[in-house]
Amino acid sequence: MDFTIRAATLEDCKDISRMILELAEHEKVSDQVKITQKDLEQDGFSKNPFFHGIIAEVPEHLKSRDGHTKVGYSLYFYTYSSWKGRAVYMEDLYVMPEFRGKGIGKALMSKVSQLGLAAGCTQLNFTVLDWNKSSLDFYLKQGCWDVTSDLGYHCMRCEGDALENLAQGDL
Amino acid sequence: MANFILRKAEPKDVSDILRLIKELAKFEEMEDQVILTEKDLLEDGFGDHPFYHCIVAEVPKQHQSVDGHVIIGFAMYYFTYDPWIGKLLYLEDFYVMKEFRGFGIGSEILKKLSQTAVRTRCSSMHFIVAEWNKPSIEFYKRRGASDLSLEEGWRLFKIDKQNLLKMTNEE
Repeated sequence: MDFTIRAATLEDCKDISRMILELAEHEKVSDQVKITQKDLEQDGFSKNPFFHGIIAEVPEHLKSRDGHTKVGYSLYFYTYSSWKGRAVYMEDLYVMPEFRGKGIGKALMSKVSQLGLAAGCTQLNFTVLDWNKSSLDFYLKQGCWDVTSDLGYHCMRCEGDALENLAQGDL
Repeated sequence: MANFILRKAEPKDVSDILRLIKELAKFEEMEDQVILTEKDLLEDGFGDHPFYHCIVAEVPKQHQSVDGHVIIGFAMYYFTYDPWIGKLLYLEDFYVMKEFRGFGIGSEILKKLSQTAVRTRCSSMHFIVAEWNKPSIEFYKRRGASDLSLEEGWRLFKIDKQNLLKMTNEE
């Protein structure tokens, strides 16, 4: 299949926002998406971006059933391992269902890896939900390993009231 | 003894930061995994676009540790992004030397981090805990943290440099 992988621009935020919602719907939690197109523009394309994006695009004649040429994306950012140094974290990876099985997901992930390596990173990290069997299989095939399974690392979160209380110093 | 200050790390602190990183890794029985150097910490933490931020806990000279250190605790963090809810604060490392525990230093560090998160409009603070580390899990749960691996099935994945290179070379 004919497609290109390129860096996301401000103009892509509309499609990124569309696809974020599609991915959230696939994970059955679209009501949890609070970020708008405007937030993405501000947070990803200012002087100090909080994330970077890459887009998979097909030519006009191969566009989706509902007329889109931007058919996949990945959002990533740089993190830091206190053991190994620079790392890259892939936050989202998504290809529209009708464009799957054509190597686009792999190409997006490969691009994130290239960019990460170019920036001096020694590892790529990301999270997968344990019920997402097709994604788990895809990643294990790429040579990833499950840190939660193998080392027992649990992802923890402190938000909302808990975060406010911590900031106030209440216990 | 409760006499300590918390402050932003400075370039001169990298030696102590690395020492504390190694102490924490030793506790996790992973000391040989730390390949980061003082030079990396300097380059990656104190330029125009730092990969991490650090706060250190310092005691006055008369309260120094048995082996003569005044920097006796630290937290390393950076900002990440969730496309559903926006900015997050990610806590990479958090450690207080054994002989200085029980004085509220850890709680103060966490409080400072939470204040930073709230001030920079992060909706959440994320971090990882090893499932065998019961005291730490209790410490965090007492403060309202939720275990995303248990509750929502999040599994943390990793791809190392070797496999990253393999992915970028495949066509």
